[in-house]
Amino acid sequence: MRVGGTPANFIMEDEKPGSTPGITIRAATPERLIELCVGAFEEGVAVQQEDFVKVFFLMHQWFMTSEELVQAFIDLYQSSDETVSCDHPGCRHLPSCHDCQVQHYKRKICQAVRYWITNYPMHFDLNGHVTAAVQSLGGLLQAEGNSQLKELLDLSTVPSYEWMRSMSVRNTGSKHSRKVSLVFNHLEPEELASQLTYLEYKAFRRIHFVDFKNYAMTASLKDQPKLERSIALFNGLSQWVQCMVLCKTTPQQRADVIVKFINVSKHLRVLQNFNTLMAIVGGLSHSALARLSKTISCLPSESQKILMEFTELLSSNNNFSNYRKVYHACTGFKIPILGVHLKDLISLHTALPDRAEGGLLNFRKMAQLSSILRELTRLQGHDSVPVDANMDLVNTLRLSLDLHYTEDEIYELSQAREPRESLSSPTTPTKPVVFADWVAGVSPPDSNTINKHVHDMVEAVFKNYDHDRDGFISHGEFEAIAGNFPFIDSFCVLDADQDGMISKVEMKTYFIRANCHALRNSFKHAFHETTYFRPTFCIHCTGLLWGLIKQGWKCKDCGINAHKHCKDLVVMECRSKGSTKRTESLSNGAGMPEMTLSAKRKISQRQKRASPSHLQEQSAQTEDVIHRMSCSSRCQPHREVTLVDGEFYEEQSLLYERLLKAEEDREKLMEENSMLRSRLEIANEQIMTLKSHIGVIRQNTIAFILEQMDALHMQRDTEV
Amino acid sequence: MKEYKVVVLGSGGVGKSALTVKFVSGTFMEKYDPTIEDFYRKEIEVDSAPSVLEILDTAGTEQFASMRDLYIKNGQGFVIVYSITSRQTFQDISSMRDQIQRVKGVDRIPMILVGNKADLEHQREVPPVEGAALAQEWGCPYLETSAKSTQNVNELFIEIVREMNSSPVKEVTGCCSIL
Repeated sequence: MRVGGTPANFIMEDEKPGSTPGITIRAATPERLIELCVGAFEEGVAVQQEDFVKVFFLMHQWFMTSEELVQAFIDLYQSSDETVSCDHPGCRHLPSCHDCQVQHYKRKICQAVRYWITNYPMHFDLNGHVTAAVQSLGGLLQAEGNSQLKELLDLSTVPSYEWMRSMSVRNTGSKHSRKVSLVFNHLEPEELASQLTYLEYKAFRRIHFVDFKNYAMTASLKDQPKLERSIALFNGLSQWVQCMVLCKTTPQQRADVIVKFINVSKHLRVLQNFNTLMAIVGGLSHSALARLSKTISCLPSESQKILMEFTELLSSNNNFSNYRKVYHACTGFKIPILGVHLKDLISLHTALPDRAEGGLLNFRKMAQLSSILRELTRLQGHDSVPVDANMDLVNTLRLSLDLHYTEDEIYELSQAREPRESLSSPTTPTKPVVFADWVAGVSPPDSNTINKHVHDMVEAVFKNYDHDRDGFISHGEFEAIAGNFPFIDSFCVLDADQDGMISKVEMKTYFIRANCHALRNSFKHAFHETTYFRPTFCIHCTGLLWGLIKQGWKCKDCGINAHKHCKDLVVMECRSKGSTKRTESLSNGAGMPEMTLSAKRKISQRQKRASPSHLQEQSAQTEDVIHRMSCSSRCQPHREVTLVDGEFYEEQSLLYERLLKAEEDREKLMEENSMLRSRLEIANEQIMTLKSHIGVIRQNTIAFILEQMDALHMQRDTEV
Repeated sequence: MKEYKVVVLGSGGVGKSALTVKFVSGTFMEKYDPTIEDFYRKEIEVDSAPSVLEILDTAGTEQFASMRDLYIKNGQGFVIVYSITSRQTFQDISSMRDQIQRVKGVDRIPMILVGNKADLEHQREVPPVEGAALAQEWGCPYLETSAKSTQNVNELFIEIVREMNSSPVKEVTGCCSIL
């Protein structure tokens, strides 16, 4: 059988195997490639030259659309009556003629299409035009009575690649600010690594072949939202790492965050998620953090060593040879460093011409590109990620990864934390410094406790403010303290011996003498559990108050918010002592026409929330009473019997009366009970509506944040 | 033989890869594999001293912000490329120089300013005087190149080696090992 001719100018083949094993074709016209592809399929035998066939189907979108390819198969099919010569004289090339060469060739075409559908299903599911074209080929077969072949073109088993099409849903909402620490404090490194891997994988597997191709060709992210999203995630992660470290005030706290991220990195390495690993290690070794010499001196040597190993692993030295070796040795689920492979793709595309001599398609280039693209698209077939996604966490994480900071801003923050040549100058605490837990469990303290507290606090003050560690607080250092203790007296009052320095003893004496409302009251907050309706952050650890309801504790007097586990650690004066009236009237919520809507809602919500539990309590009490009543009434006859035998008849009648009364009471209580129950039901209903309200509010919040993300991407785009 | 690490920086589409590929591979290549270890290494003779250049082409990774910092840390000499056919790419480069200085923490860094695509004279948006003026401000050499016609491609890498010889950056390994 011959299909067309094989003129030398349609195809060039390597004399010896080229750089890609199994492929001898150097260059050819697309038509010739298609013919070769069909030729590789022989009934009852394994696909010949499968390497070529694979590369051809994977790479065809580099030089033609899938739709065009189906059309080419259709053309080939239709013209086979003329182009294929049949040995049987008088053969009418019908499906029933088994030895007919024409039919034989048609079967090969259909098998080629079947192979395509089976091995690259996403080409079909993602493109309606392709599906339509395949169906029209099917129609052709049907018309010829070739129903057996038509089955080969069945597309119904193609899995859905809906996730590849869809981007995350975005809505519009209103504006408010966020912080970067959202979930960080609450997650273990392993959990964090898992959720980050899930996010990464989701972004990565959406990137389509065509996205890679366009990026290689244009070197621009314009009109490539999927690739852009993935890169934004990468950059967001690096920035998040930097911000999480820099938002801590002391070198030790910053070092702790770095250690946590190093631990996250360890788990990422185990998960073989190299892209996220690169983002985190890139963030940790970013100049904004690398310059923090004080922080780094607080790092345990073990962590430093691990970080160095990771930097080594991901180093660009010798063309990323360390990474490449390790990556290729990894089996199973893995996520490559996207940037490195994109770089290879661009390099290949730049170096190799699309066309070989005579205008033929440079197929060797396709073969080389395919090795990179196969690797990149291979993962998208993986349906299983080795992590359990917690969607709430993933969503929150996604939000916190989208930052509004520029590189410059982060660098400025870094400089503010540890100024250049900062060997002698102190770190300026920008937030109230946290002291020992001396306020924990403050109840009206006896003098011993106060002394102990004062001692601890003064130690803490010296630890945090005595920057030159000379055991004295100077004027300058005192200024910083006064900033956090507005009720403290002037420097001169504390400096009892007037030597221009405050010693520990002087400070202790002052505080014990002043003992006092400053200690007993100003530092005691009236915390109560609160439900917040907008993202609120802990004053102590700056983390988000987490959860749907009762997220944290609020001070009734000064209004600061804190986590349950942080509230005892807060060291900050309760500053609104003088304005208690105002806060009280606020929390009552009555007669405040200027109160914002949300505040009103908050209050009414709180009241409503309070009422059902109150009711429940009442009804529980009632039931208890009834229980006791019924118990006693059951006991009554028993006692009656013993009394009949005795002489206390009078008492018996008295008891009977009491019994009647008790039964009356019981009935009344039953009535009350049922009434309370119905009220409880109503209250529960209210809770349900309020819950749905919360849902709406949450949705809007998320929508807004996503919109912000969009805007940022757009802004980045224009900047790029 | 002295070894130099050169980083090629610039916005997407200015022809960084083309310059790099032209330099490391010459005009024609039988076998081409950008994933192998010494693909970006090339020996050249500069002022009769044989040298080995390891070139880091940042093409494709321009958007990955934190990778850029790692690159700069690793590099000793920097080739900063814009396209003479795009003013935008010329504007982008000043931030790159700032970043290099920030990461390196020193003022004098071996670098060279390159206006690529000089063969596309009819699409020129950035006149040579502007490039030269910026180079003078930075105190570094300036070249217009064409990866297509190979104009000044070798010269550019020779020039950056000379720059590194005249103001060698301290051993880079030290700065990476801290963090």
